[in-house]
Amino acid sequence: MKKTNTIFQDGDHKWVAIVRDPDRPGHLVDTNEYLVTHGGQGMLLDPGGAEVFPAVFSALSGEFDPSALSAVFASHQDPDICSSLALWLEFNPGMRCYVSWLWESFIPHFGGTKETFVTIPDPGMDIFLGGLSLQAVPAHYLHSSGNFHLYDKQAKILFSGDVGAALLPAGQDALFVENFDTHIRYAEGFHKRWMGSNDAKRRWCERVASMEINLLCPQHGAIYQGSDVQRFINWFDELQVGVLGS
Amino acid sequence: MSPMNPSIAAKEPQAGIDLLRIVRINEEIKAVVGVAFKINIMALNAIFLAKRAGTAALGFGVLSNELRTFSQDLRSCMGALTVLIHRCVTEVSVVLQDIRKTRLLSEAVSLSALSKLNPVVVRRERENIEHQERLAALRRQLLRALDDAFQLVELGGVLAKSAKIEAAYGQSFAASLAQVSGEFDGVVEEIRNSLLALRHSEFFK
Ligand SMILES: [Fe+2]
Ligand SMILES: [Fe+2]
Repeated sequence: MKKTNTIFQDGDHKWVAIVRDPDRPGHLVDTNEYLVTHGGQGMLLDPGGAEVFPAVFSALSGEFDPSALSAVFASHQDPDICSSLALWLEFNPGMRCYVSWLWESFIPHFGGTKETFVTIPDPGMDIFLGGLSLQAVPAHYLHSSGNFHLYDKQAKILFSGDVGAALLPAGQDALFVENFDTHIRYAEGFHKRWMGSNDAKRRWCERVASMEINLLCPQHGAIYQGSDVQRFINWFDELQVGVLGS
Repeated sequence: MSPMNPSIAAKEPQAGIDLLRIVRINEEIKAVVGVAFKINIMALNAIFLAKRAGTAALGFGVLSNELRTFSQDLRSCMGALTVLIHRCVTEVSVVLQDIRKTRLLSEAVSLSALSKLNPVVVRRERENIEHQERLAALRRQLLRALDDAFQLVELGGVLAKSAKIEAAYGQSFAASLAQVSGEFDGVVEEIRNSLLALRHSEFFK
C-alpha cells in the first residue's frame, strides 16, 4: 500500500503526497499522486495508472472520502497519469477531469463522458476548489505537447508533472530531495530524453523562476524544497534536452 | 497488495478462452459463408444446364430451382449467424473489461477501510451479472441459429442427393448433370461438417 504524507496544511487547506508503493510490480514506473483539499472539496493531481489504482485509492481513502473528490487534474495524456480515470469515476460519476484541450477526445479512451472533461486552453486558466484558486500553468512540450502544471499560490507549491521527475533506484525512497547533486543524476537522463524542446524549457524556466515556490512536486521521484527548487530550475535551464542516447 | 478474489481470478482466463473460442467460431462461419456463396453460383449453373438439357432433365430442373432457393436461404441464415457472432464477440469483450475493473475496484476497496459491501463494488457486480446473462442469452441464441442452419443444410443434402439420382435420367446430359449434382453434394457435405463441428465447440458447454 502507498504512503500518504501531508506536505502542507493550513486549516482545511491541505496537500497530501501519495507515494512509494512497496508492492508495486517492478515493470510499472513509480508515480506520485497529490491530493489537494480546500473547503471540504478535494482534487487529485495525476491520479495514476489503472494497475496502481488499488494502492492509490486505498491510501487516499485513509485521508479523504474518495466519493467526494470533485475533480482530477491530468497534467497530460500518458497512461501513468490517468488510465485509472474510469475507476475513479465509478465512485463519483460527476467528477470532473481538467486537461489540456489537446487531449479532449483522446483521454476518454480511458473513460468518462463528454461532461467529465473541462479543457484547459493553451495559455492556462484558474481552477477553483472549494474557494481556493489554483493556476494551470502552461508547460507544453515538457514532455507532452499539451501539458500543464498546477500552481497553488497560497501554499507556494508547484505540481510539475514529469518536470523534475527522477527515476530513483530501489531503496532510495526519501520523500524530499536530500542531496541535490546526487539526486539530479537520476533526473538527467529522463529530462534529456523525455523533454523535447529547448525553447519550451527556456520559457518554462523563465515563467516559474518568477513564482514563489516552496515545494516543487514532480510525478516521479522526490520533492524539491527550499533552495533546491531554484537549484533545479537553474540546472534544467542549462540542460540540453531532446537528446537521443546519453 | 491483497490476493485477488478467487472467483474473479478464475473468471479472467475463462473469459479470455471464451474470446478465443468465439473468434475461432467467427472464422469458421466466415469460411462457411464463403462456401454458401459458391453454392449460389453452382445452383445457377445447374439451372442453365437443366434448361439446355430441356425435356431430358425436367426432374433435375425442378430440383435445381429448389437448390437455388436453398442456397439463398442458406445465405440469409449465415447472415443471421454472422450478426449473432459479432454480438457475442462484443459481449465477451465487455465481460473481459468488467473482470479487470472488478478486480481493481475490489482490491481498492479491500485495501481501504471501506466496507467490502461498498455500493460501488455491489453496483459493478450487478452490472457484471447483467453482462454475463446477456452473453449467456446470446450463446443460446447462437446455438439455436446453428441448429436451424444445420437443419437447412440437411435439407440441402437431400436435394443434392435427389439431383444426383435425377442426373442419371439426363440422357446425353447425364454426365455433366452428374458432375454438377456431385459437386453440389460435396459442398453441402462440407458445410454440414463445419456446422457439426461448430455445434460441438467448447464455447457452448
Ligand atoms: Fe509523461
Ligand atoms: Fe510520468
